Amino acid sequence: MSHKTLGFTVRKGGIQSTIQDCGRIGYCDIGLTQSGAMDETAFGYANMLAGNAFNTPVVEIALGGLTLLSTCQQTVAITGADMHPTLNGEPIGMWQTHRLEKDDVIRFGFAAQGQFAYLSVTGGFQTPFAYGSFSTSVKEGLGGIEGRKLIEGDFLPTRGKCLPLKRRLPSSLIPNYASETVLRVVKGYQEAWFDAKAQETFFTTTYRYKGEGDRMGYRLCGEKIVPSVTGILSEPICYGAIQIPSHGEPIVLLKERQTIGGYPKIGSVVTVDCFKLAQLSSGGSVRFQSVTLEEARASTLAFYAHFTF
Amino acid sequence: MSVEYRIASESSVILYFGHTIDERISDRVFQAYRALKQSAHPAFREIVPSYASLMVGFNAVRYDFQTTCKLIQALIDDAPLTGAREQNIVTIPVYYDTEVGWDLEALALEKEMSIEEIVALHTQTTYRVYAIGFAPGFAYLGQTDERLKTARLANPRKSVPKGSVAIADRQSAIYPAKSPGGWKILGRTPLAMFDASYQGLSFLHVGDAVRFEAISQERFLALGGEL
Repeated sequence: MSHKTLGFTVRKGGIQSTIQDCGRIGYCDIGLTQSGAMDETAFGYANMLAGNAFNTPVVEIALGGLTLLSTCQQTVAITGADMHPTLNGEPIGMWQTHRLEKDDVIRFGFAAQGQFAYLSVTGGFQTPFAYGSFSTSVKEGLGGIEGRKLIEGDFLPTRGKCLPLKRRLPSSLIPNYASETVLRVVKGYQEAWFDAKAQETFFTTTYRYKGEGDRMGYRLCGEKIVPSVTGILSEPICYGAIQIPSHGEPIVLLKERQTIGGYPKIGSVVTVDCFKLAQLSSGGSVRFQSVTLEEARASTLAFYAHFTF
Repeated sequence: MSVEYRIASESSVILYFGHTIDERISDRVFQAYRALKQSAHPAFREIVPSYASLMVGFNAVRYDFQTTCKLIQALIDDAPLTGAREQNIVTIPVYYDTEVGWDLEALALEKEMSIEEIVALHTQTTYRVYAIGFAPGFAYLGQTDERLKTARLANPRKSVPKGSVAIADRQSAIYPAKSPGGWKILGRTPLAMFDASYQGLSFLHVGDAVRFEAISQERFLALGGEL
């Protein structure tokens, strides 16, 4: 079998399925967005199960609808939102590996809870590397397969590797995509321009997510807050930044955010909680909780220690 | 001039050198940006300049906030502060004509000027790249002549052609790729603003000095421009 034939043929692309790794780091100064997996927890487990290094490219399936045909024997793992995957029509489990044979068809439905599922393959997808990352940025037309979402007929090259043993994540480690979640926040940026009352409102309100969001960021609805200054000079925006535009409702900026912007920000959602937010279904709700820089960093350390050591 | 360090997130710090659009402030941002970039220190994952601020994303697994701030401060303090900094001066050829400058006529009416006067005002200024954002390679150039100050279009266009040279407020920019946009279009450049073959990918970088030069349709086409 020629090397070129190892991989998957896309039968159906679904709503928006893209190749993602942890994102494109180091190009924000020339306007390239970070991009990368929206939920690095499910992404990390997908690679861990498949025996890959943490930052190996996978397919991120937004909402669902992807169908792939395997062109060889290979091991895959599926994590994230439960899109009721089937193998040749038979339901298969999430958060575990599956050994595929040539001509096997793997099909994803749609998720009731959660937004993103991840499909990893042992050895990783062998798609083009662009500007330091395998991640697709649809808005910029960069990375992945021609800088766009997957469509019928695309070929995703792999290395055709199998793991000798089945792997399954213990149920204690499987995240549940609750409809209510608490997001920890490090106050920063223009925090001082939000007075005590505005901050109290912000940290006691239950905000609802009505589905107004995409890979760029999620808008949340609830009590409005107003800073003492409305516009600021455009400045760099970090992952998780909580922007308060003139409508007074928070927008949490995520992986495909703009690199600079001119709205006041009260602080940033802690990195690992951004992953939880990414999976929040439309109709879900969040509360913000202020934490210290030390607590926030501890959560980052714990996360990356879990996945990369 | 003091620098204010503020938390952006647990893995990024933002430095404020001021809060206005000002060449001297932008100089400070650029000096700091260059010093940090040139250090190539593995603690820094992302170094992003803007008008009066600079954000540094750092490896929070290995470095805490305080250590990173001290590291930044030491590098900035060591950066050369005096003398003319080497500035990259770039000339951008532009075909100014109603054929490609879709808002030239309306702007001439609004400003009660001839199209020639508008072009003269746009080409007489040496601009500075204050920031890059909105899209890969999209440079915010300041400041246009006071007499060219204009509002954005009330109805942004769904599609602005690649290479369009435009103004809004007291800024100018070149659209690096076809995209939606609300800035007023004066002309078009045949130069690519973002290209994988460029070292650094983007034609312009923060801190560059930029001039526009009016060219004919013939020259525009000869340089590879597309109508």
